[in-house]
Amino acid sequence: MDYYLNLINTIGIHTLLGLSAYLLLLTGQVSLAQAGFFGIGAYTAAIVTVIFEWSILSAIGAAMLVSGGVAFLVGFPALRVRGLMLVVATLAFSEFARMFFYNLKWRVVRDGAEIGPDGTMGFAEIRYFNNNGWLNWEVTIFLWVFVAVVMALIWWSDQTRIGAVLRAVGEDELAANSTGINVTVVKVAAMTAGGIVAGLAGSLYAHQVTDLDHHTFTVLLATFAIAYPILGGLSNVFGTLIAVLFIQGLLVEGLRFLGDWRMLLFGALIIVAMNIKPLGLFDNQTIRILRKALGVKRQRDSV
Amino acid sequence: MLKINTVSKHFGGVKAVDNLDLQVESGEIYGLIGPNGSGKSTLVNVVCGVLKPTAGDVIFEGRSMAGQTPSTRLRNGIARTFQNIRLFGGLTVWQNLWVARNSTEDIRSQSILRRWLGSGTALKKEIETMLEFSNLADKADVLASNLAFGEQRRLELARAVAAKPRLLLLDEPAAGMNQAEVAELEQRIRSLREQGITILLVEHVMQLVMGVTDRIAVLNFGSKIAEGSPNDIQENTAVQEAYLGHSDQG
Amino acid sequence: MEDFWYEVVEVSQSIADGLLFGSTYALIGIGFTLIFGAMGKLNMAYAAAALGGAYAGLAGFVLIKAPLVLVFGISAIATAALGYAIYFTCFRFIPVNNHLASLMASVGALFFIDEVVVHVTRGSPLTFPSMFGDVYFELGPYGIRGDLVFVFIIGLISTGVLLYILFRTRLGLATRAVAQQDIAARLCGIGVHSTNSVTFAIAGVLGGIAGAMTAAAVGVLSPVMTVPLTVKGIIVAVIGGLGSIPGAIIAGLFVGGFENVILYFRGIDERDMYVVALLFVFLVFRPNGLFGTAITRD
Repeated sequence: MDYYLNLINTIGIHTLLGLSAYLLLLTGQVSLAQAGFFGIGAYTAAIVTVIFEWSILSAIGAAMLVSGGVAFLVGFPALRVRGLMLVVATLAFSEFARMFFYNLKWRVVRDGAEIGPDGTMGFAEIRYFNNNGWLNWEVTIFLWVFVAVVMALIWWSDQTRIGAVLRAVGEDELAANSTGINVTVVKVAAMTAGGIVAGLAGSLYAHQVTDLDHHTFTVLLATFAIAYPILGGLSNVFGTLIAVLFIQGLLVEGLRFLGDWRMLLFGALIIVAMNIKPLGLFDNQTIRILRKALGVKRQRDSV
Repeated sequence: MLKINTVSKHFGGVKAVDNLDLQVESGEIYGLIGPNGSGKSTLVNVVCGVLKPTAGDVIFEGRSMAGQTPSTRLRNGIARTFQNIRLFGGLTVWQNLWVARNSTEDIRSQSILRRWLGSGTALKKEIETMLEFSNLADKADVLASNLAFGEQRRLELARAVAAKPRLLLLDEPAAGMNQAEVAELEQRIRSLREQGITILLVEHVMQLVMGVTDRIAVLNFGSKIAEGSPNDIQENTAVQEAYLGHSDQG
Repeated sequence: MEDFWYEVVEVSQSIADGLLFGSTYALIGIGFTLIFGAMGKLNMAYAAAALGGAYAGLAGFVLIKAPLVLVFGISAIATAALGYAIYFTCFRFIPVNNHLASLMASVGALFFIDEVVVHVTRGSPLTFPSMFGDVYFELGPYGIRGDLVFVFIIGLISTGVLLYILFRTRLGLATRAVAQQDIAARLCGIGVHSTNSVTFAIAGVLGGIAGAMTAAAVGVLSPVMTVPLTVKGIIVAVIGGLGSIPGAIIAGLFVGGFENVILYFRGIDERDMYVVALLFVFLVFRPNGLFGTAITRD
């Protein structure tokens, strides 16, 4: 049972990661920075519950605030770099964050034992849920409430002008600028929102896994984060969720019998997917076809 | 209304626009013609803020536009269409207008939330009116990239007008159109003027330029070689030379 | 006073050692920059292929007691082959203007290569024969490591050969033509795909040599070296200006020296942070790098 709960938790957390990258992809910014924001959220939240001994909600709030703040600051220099260079810059940022946490030492003595982030040894003993008597399934529900809320928020914003504006910027910045959209505001806002969501994911992750190690927050994680919305397509949030289900559920867990050869398969699959459907698995054409088939209500009627 | 004050735009050694002086009066339909490479599109880009002038100043309604981004200029009343249509292909026709309809006074006076959500029946009605005007009412939910060429041009125009500009720059709007479509465009431009919009029309299609403009300026190699009414320009030998490279035998 | 001079000697020693080692970064940077120059795309699997080649070279040494030159040769050829495979699977069939899909695919290739290496070596680091490791010159207060000099000289030779190929042969001419105007090149009868695969192969040769150089200088080969080498290679290519070979050379040497000085003052844990921070500074203030050509290829 616990095994499945763990899997469901992982899917939830990765969905949040994917959505964080999704927001940025909408505006045309390919970002590998989500791993960095994720790590910042994780460590911040863990520090809040372990060292300050505050509640989980304030930890999550703090994580979102700090990650969002850093993302806001990253958003501005990010405006100066485009396309591939943005990928490089965000990759550099995530690596910098990882190395920062690799060096972070903040040990405090509580009840006779040392706790807190310990540089290269990682950050263990994040026992908030255990110490407060949370059952495993309660943690799962708690986590998924956040996932559901974030998905709903993004879905809803896609039905309003916000979604259209984000996508307009992603489509053609020059045209967007000439149509009166303040592209700077939109792009920085997207980066900040992405940072907040990734920070949220990190805070939940830290408490679910109880043990942080800088090895988690690597290029691999950043790649996962961006792979989900790319594979799932940018038409709506469900594409990302399905991509997470597919990759985590099927590949990582379902192919467990392959043992360590999973990563080989994963790598090969990415290559194949990119060659066959470079626009994602659920691109516009697929969605429009589905919409027609299901007779879904059109967008402007909800105004 | 629009004063182009000795504007120059150099790209390295190339003088795309060279000490150009131009004035467009309020309510006019002003044409800008010239052979390829004469600097017309560059000028449009300078006026709209996409390019910074190497020298000189663009003055709109008495105020200098120096340093203003395209979106700021839009808010101040200058809109433009693009020569090679730049619609938001992944958005529907409706969304293309929805996104553009945000910079005028009446919209900006609404609360931020209302503006972001783009909700409200008034806005809906306005977009519907614009769609009717452009003959695109039945295509509201079609993706812009799936429109026929003529429809795309109409949407491009509608989007520029959506921001209720006072000055509208049209960059070769008739390119690729057949005669019927050009006639339709001519009608549309006239009714835009009736709505109080001043128009600067950059064009190659002479049928349109001669038919709809009040005054025309002719550019060649970045400078103005002639200015006057459509009749004057047609008779002007310098203009003929610029286009044909030799004087006509008549 | 004596302490100050001591510091000066130590720091300049660090710089010198770093410069010598930096030639490995220069080669990797050249590889990244070559591919970017040719296709406008980034090959994320490049450093992984370089290390893969080094492993192949090591295999040659271990299995058949291959002499030094052969080890480097095997590495070069292995990486060239890997480079071609990566081109074929990640770049050849993906539309020219879809940079993202190729990037993601090459990331997939990175994972793939890494995993193969981990499996074959069971994840444990292997010793790489160090060349001239016991040679040590003394020059006044400075000590010069023979193996670093060796590595540097190999770098010089490789770069020289590369430049010769690029600027004095028809193959090189075709490569440069495709890089500058691929449609026009095609119209002139130059096969874009074959030229691009050759570019990847040439970059692969450089990469294999660089991988072997790195392993020789450090004395160890391990899969954990992949990501740092990738990041540093990209940083070097960016700082030098994407598409510029002289830029990559200078940037590689610079990063090598810079990194070593930081190592001296702040230790190994913080060293890489500063290198990454250096990348940031360049990206924000000089995104075209030192000798950048067109950056806006998006």
